[in-house]
Amino acid sequence: MAEGVYAGSHRSARRGAGVEFGGHRAYTPGDDLRWLDRRSLLLHDRLLVRQFETETDRALRLVVDATTSMGYRGTGAPGAKLAFSALVSAALARVAVSSGDPVGLTYFGGGPNSRSLPVSGGREAFERILGSLEAAEAGGDARADASVLERALAIIARSARRGSIVVVLSDLLDLPEVAADRVSAIATRGRVLVVVQVLDPDEVSLPFEGTVRLRSLEGDVVVETDVEATRARYLAALAELTSEWDRALAARGARFVRAVTTDDPVRIVREIVQAAR
Amino acid sequence: MHFVYGLALLAAVLVAAPYFAHRLRRRRGEERVFAAARLVPPAPPRARRRSKLEDRALFGTRALAVVGLAVLGASPLVRCSRLALQRPGGASVAIALVVDDSMSMRALSSGTTRFDRAKEGARQLLASTREGDAVAIVLAGAPARVALAATTDLGAARAAVDALVQSDRGTDLDGAIGMSHALIAQLPQVDRRVVVLSDLADGHPDGPPIGEGTEIPTWVALPELREPAADCGILGADRLGPRVRVRIACSHDATALGREVTLLDGDRVVARAAAPSGESGETTLMLAEPADGGPPAAQADSLQAHLTGTDAIAADDTAPVVIEAGPGSIAVVADSVDELAVTGGAPVVEQALAALELDVAVRPIPALPDRSEDLAPFAGAILDDPPGFTPEERRALGSFLEGGGVVLLALGPRAAAAPLGASLDPIVPHAVVWGPTPVPGVDPATSAGVLAESATSLQDVAAKSRVTLAPEDVGNFEPLLKWKDGPLFVAKRSVGRGEAWIVTLPFAIDASDLPLRPAFLALLDAWAAEARARAAPRRTDVGVAWAFPGAHGVTVEGPAGRVPVVYDGPVARVVPPLLGTYTVSVDSKRELRVASLVARELDLRPRGAAPAAGGAGLGDSHAAIDISSSIALLLLGLTVVEMTLRLRARTRAVAET
Repeated sequence: MAEGVYAGSHRSARRGAGVEFGGHRAYTPGDDLRWLDRRSLLLHDRLLVRQFETETDRALRLVVDATTSMGYRGTGAPGAKLAFSALVSAALARVAVSSGDPVGLTYFGGGPNSRSLPVSGGREAFERILGSLEAAEAGGDARADASVLERALAIIARSARRGSIVVVLSDLLDLPEVAADRVSAIATRGRVLVVVQVLDPDEVSLPFEGTVRLRSLEGDVVVETDVEATRARYLAALAELTSEWDRALAARGARFVRAVTTDDPVRIVREIVQAAR
Repeated sequence: MHFVYGLALLAAVLVAAPYFAHRLRRRRGEERVFAAARLVPPAPPRARRRSKLEDRALFGTRALAVVGLAVLGASPLVRCSRLALQRPGGASVAIALVVDDSMSMRALSSGTTRFDRAKEGARQLLASTREGDAVAIVLAGAPARVALAATTDLGAARAAVDALVQSDRGTDLDGAIGMSHALIAQLPQVDRRVVVLSDLADGHPDGPPIGEGTEIPTWVALPELREPAADCGILGADRLGPRVRVRIACSHDATALGREVTLLDGDRVVARAAAPSGESGETTLMLAEPADGGPPAAQADSLQAHLTGTDAIAADDTAPVVIEAGPGSIAVVADSVDELAVTGGAPVVEQALAALELDVAVRPIPALPDRSEDLAPFAGAILDDPPGFTPEERRALGSFLEGGGVVLLALGPRAAAAPLGASLDPIVPHAVVWGPTPVPGVDPATSAGVLAESATSLQDVAAKSRVTLAPEDVGNFEPLLKWKDGPLFVAKRSVGRGEAWIVTLPFAIDASDLPLRPAFLALLDAWAAEARARAAPRRTDVGVAWAFPGAHGVTVEGPAGRVPVVYDGPVARVVPPLLGTYTVSVDSKRELRVASLVARELDLRPRGAAPAAGGAGLGDSHAAIDISSSIALLLLGLTVVEMTLRLRARTRAVAET
């Protein structure tokens, strides 16, 4: 799947010496005088320095939500949200490894077999990531225990270097209220952040009928509702949630991708790669 | 059990049927796991929403209708614990309600006083009366009195019952029942009854049963009022100097063992002692100087004696401390010059008063004051053979006597030779005669009261002369002792609220040997006791009327405020209804009076009731209640409401379509 998605190098976030022009910036004392733009000095009487983009390797950090809600699988879905996230993550890892970029894997939540992996490159790293994703199981309550998310984000914030690509895969449904701010904060210090919302088909359509009592998987919420009467309001609330995340991410230069487990995973991986460019 | 009860139970089950049907319709929805449940707004099920307004109202209406029908069907069986009159003949009845408002009715029973229960019983009985019935209300607190004369105005009867208030009086059941008979005996109603709402505790537990042998049937209702109870109370608390004597009595077979008697000056306890252990007894407490430097308790004029602990009646556990002897002194008007020559010292009457060691000051004054305020500090005055009174002296003496003073007037030759313009009025209005004594000595058989024991010492009293009153004045006096030949020797009369005593011999040694006789000391002692008693607050049993003859303006402030004054011709009467201290103002002169507990009221043992007084055929404690008309009106109203609701629902359905 990864082979059909992407092959070749990508642009670096690091600017400096290189061959492809990357724009101008104001001269500051200490800059290399070789890159001083003499034509600008003559034409505009301003000291500007020419910049160039440098091709370099970029680490891929996969952050997978493995809380209990990600184990949900509706009646019309081919698999649980966590399984879909694992599939997409594996494809992304394959793409990165093929490009020579190192890959790391971090879970928030998850069962005892959901082991995070440090950033490393090569075939063996891909195999380890594949093994971890296959063994991952849903568990934990991010709504009741805010530290579940905080711990994962702290690792990323501390270890992801400038130029790293961070891909977060989550349903975003049962995260704490401050999650959007915390997650979007990763997109600083030259890091590229892509948040992928993975939803079940039931969650995008609310297909139930009549009066049902809906029990959440996290947060111990029980709602008795008449589906026909409240479906429109539910979809509006879901759209509002999505919009909130989109706004929070856009404000930090991050990207938002939405996926349903019935979607073509290839298309989703391609969208992620495009967003990460 | 009547078979109808089964049907009533079945109806009760049916009453619940609509409710269960409603609950079944409101069953819960199926539970499902859904990760995004947090985003789903709650909404009641459609059926519940639909039934929220119109169905709920209809449900309530119909449920009420079913309940109403059930109650309507069961109304002949509905009874509750309340008093009601029975009407075997169906005719109008005349009832006399005897409501006991005595002290013993303050006993608590199930959190409420017996009096309140009796009052409630009277209300219930009035609720069962009909147009044409006659009602009279008599209160059994002593003395028995009519609260409402027989009337067919049932509204007035209800108002009279509402206006009844508890008192601390004794009990006069026989008087109240007799009064009730008199009130309804002449009424045209053939069916006449007396209903007694009392605990029957009138202090005569062995008296004849209530309702026995009476012409008019008597029903002694509310047996719960006669439940056994124990009570202790303070009969009186008297203070003489720093010594306070508290008398306590208890109900039959009850004691105040383990309780304490305390003296309270406001909230401060100034003395305490253990209560006597028997059914009755007294405890003496000494007022001591307070250790904390506060005001001396002995000077406090508002001490209260309090019996600690709890019993059936709390009101009789506190009583005001009454000063036993008045604080006033005794004025002595005697001719000290002549007496000095005979006795070699003070006049003999002063020496006799000193010998009696009375707890009161004796003040010799040269002449009777001619201003009333100069006599006011004295509890009594002894006038030894005055040469008549001037008009100013007469006015001052009259005011003194009207205000409650006591005078001892010894008549002698000077009194008989009063100068022109002087007289002995207001004590002896007419002139007296000083003349020889035909038969010496007094007749002990004529002695009465205080001189009864000592009169024999005067059998041969030697007096050459004596004073004889004018015949017009003799009838005004109450003889205490007479001469052997019949004229008064010692007598007394009331003047206003005071009292005047006369002796027809002067207290001089040279006139007679009266001052040397033991009876002389007895006479002075008795007179001084009367003077002191009148200076002290007067204590009477609660409920006993105080009479103020000739008083123009009488106001009485009691523990519960101003007490009404009834004028019976020239006599003003006041009945203290509650225990405690009363401030009496008579023609602007103030005095204190105390209404004390009637000891009989502590005996809570009820008198017996005749078997015929059980109420058979007269009344019922579990009355049937006719509520069919009210239920029928309710059902009619519910029908209208249901029709309105259905019409609204149909209009709404058409609009939605």
